[in-house]
Amino acid sequence: MPGADTTVSALNAERMRLEVISQNIANANVTKTPEGGAYKRKEVVFESVLNNAIHSNNGNTQSPMMVKVGRVETDETPGLTINDPDHPDADEEGNVTLSNVNIHEEMVDMIMASRAYEANLSAIKFARSMAVQTLSIGRK
Amino acid sequence: MIEGMFNQTNYVATKKMMDATILRQEALASNIGNVETPGYQRMDVSEDFKGQFAKAIAEGGIDSLKGLKPNLEVDSTAVARDETGNTVDLESEVLKLSENQIAHQLESKIVTGALAKLRLAITGRP
Repeated sequence: MPGADTTVSALNAERMRLEVISQNIANANVTKTPEGGAYKRKEVVFESVLNNAIHSNNGNTQSPMMVKVGRVETDETPGLTINDPDHPDADEEGNVTLSNVNIHEEMVDMIMASRAYEANLSAIKFARSMAVQTLSIGRK
Repeated sequence: MIEGMFNQTNYVATKKMMDATILRQEALASNIGNVETPGYQRMDVSEDFKGQFAKAIAEGGIDSLKGLKPNLEVDSTAVARDETGNTVDLESEVLKLSENQIAHQLESKIVTGALAKLRLAITGRP
């Protein structure tokens, strides 16, 4: 199927992105982590990689690019600090730093990631129907 | 005699169009996959190929048509969609994907039609 490996790499990358988003949402209220302090939101950064199989027989022209998760970045923006002396993680003055996860932002990100995933699925469907059509060449 | 059938301009041109369609599918799959990649530039079948193809059809030269090979290039007319310089527009890519599928259907119907003619010549009227 034309372009199938590219699409598969993109599906993998988008799934990884969804995993990171759900990790952010799950840890939205975490104020204590092994690294110390509140949870910091993570963000994936995609990278395109050359598809070697196609590149070799295509000479020096542009060739399709696969996708991978290049790195997972930590958002270092400080979270909101509130005063809550009853909180178990409060300091001497009663201040607690919350995680910098914004649920609304994460939800929007999640919708974008799942839409991108769906777009890749439809690319696979088109590739499949083209392959089926090719196989039917010469049939009555 | 059969060579004549497979050397018709239309037949050879349809085969080349099919090659380009398959290559375009790969380019569009790459564009859709990289919709969130920072700085990615969308690619498509090169204008150079389109121009040479149209010229070969107009001249009717079967040899120049046979020597053509579709290739991809970065689409320099696409504008950046976000601050990272990514030029992929998801909606238009999906639209192009379905256009491309219709084009492929048409091309495979033309090839099938040419083969059906050959079959008719061999078997005669049923």
